[in-house]
Amino acid sequence: MKHKAFMIDTSRCIACRSCQVACKQWNKLPAEATVNSGSYENPPKLTAYLHNKIEFIETEENGEFKWLFLNKRCMHCSEAGCMKVCPSVGALYRTEDGLVAYNKDKCIGCNYCVNGCPFDVPRYDAQNKIAKCHGCFDRVENGLQPACVKACPTGTLLFGDRDQLIATAKTSGKPIYGETALSGLGAMYLLDNKPQDYNLAANPTIPTSIFLWKDVIKPLGILGFWGAVGVAMLHYVTVGPKQLEENGTEKGGGNHG
Amino acid sequence: MGNYVKRFSAFDRVVHWVLAIAFFVLVMSGLGLFAHTFFSYFDFFGGPEQGILAHKIAGIVFLITSILLFFAHAKDTCRFDSDDGRWFKGFGGYLSKDQPEIPQGKFNAGQKLFALFSIIATVILGLTGYVIWDPTSMERGLTQFSLMLHGLFFILFVMGAVVHIYLATIGNPGTIDGMLWGQVKKIWAKKHASKWYQEVGGKD
Repeated sequence: MKHKAFMIDTSRCIACRSCQVACKQWNKLPAEATVNSGSYENPPKLTAYLHNKIEFIETEENGEFKWLFLNKRCMHCSEAGCMKVCPSVGALYRTEDGLVAYNKDKCIGCNYCVNGCPFDVPRYDAQNKIAKCHGCFDRVENGLQPACVKACPTGTLLFGDRDQLIATAKTSGKPIYGETALSGLGAMYLLDNKPQDYNLAANPTIPTSIFLWKDVIKPLGILGFWGAVGVAMLHYVTVGPKQLEENGTEKGGGNHG
Repeated sequence: MGNYVKRFSAFDRVVHWVLAIAFFVLVMSGLGLFAHTFFSYFDFFGGPEQGILAHKIAGIVFLITSILLFFAHAKDTCRFDSDDGRWFKGFGGYLSKDQPEIPQGKFNAGQKLFALFSIIATVILGLTGYVIWDPTSMERGLTQFSLMLHGLFFILFVMGAVVHIYLATIGNPGTIDGMLWGQVKKIWAKKHASKWYQEVGGKD
């Protein structure tokens, strides 16, 4: 299966936020009232109605003020924490193009994916259903680019065959964020600085508790249940129950059944 | 009546069976969240949202009844003596038919251990359940840890319940009488809880 992916060259980003607007337009997401926080960054966080956004990270370089711009969105992980914890079959699923999409009708509103995601991406809408970037899988299936990519005027956002994007990006010489993390992210970045400077984890992983819960406790638990049933049955037919002697008198700690 | 001795009050019995029903509801509704294999169990409740609601209500019932039952028997379940040590060493006589029964109080050492495990597990499941009641309300790391711990103690509790049900029914005939109508046969008391039998005035 050939996976498609986003490649995001942050150095090209001018923070015009066309991607934010295009996403809202295509996905029919309403505007939200926000407050001025003293930064051009707005809204401050991803919401159920904001599936991608530009982060304005304020830094200093050689004594001069500098912005780092980062298009934040669902990373479409190959090993996706949200899909790992989702109890509802088919609510979160992977498209043929490798994107992590969802079916709101099957979402049961348990909110588990919010905690299973290593990147704190999934949100819940007013109907208590999951909302996040789905890579415009509807457009992609029909041969179009995702809305944000289509709208990006600088070539910061690229979308296409994952292997090809990586091959092209490697010619730039910059390290690629997400090439192998979580078995390969579906949204990769070319960063000028360290990942931490962009508030990205250097080595994103499935949270340890989630791994223990789903990959250790769950299988061992099913084994444990049937093990307990098996031991009880085995005991019954081998050693047998502690029968009461209805008529006899107990002989001092007798050895009857 | 001459052959019987009173073991559990009506209060004990009612609380125990409400707790048992709540436990069953919790298992059935919780399994849907535990693994894809059991997702269809939500159908028993009319859907996933209703199943989660049933789980929360049953959880509160289970927590309250568990605490009531624990304190009703705490004076009998929280003290271990040297006979209990011997009981554990001999695995309660469950590994062989040739072992003499070790004198035990109202509850044998294994039952006491299960009572203590139950209350500890209940409190842990209650606390973690409170954290994951709304999984977005608290710190992410704490919620992830609580989800894991809730799953772990769910498993341990179900395994404990399997053993409890086996030993209280076909594993030890006559035991369930006490929980059904409050009385057990004198020969049961003499065999399984000889020290208690003497305390309540049993002869020979």
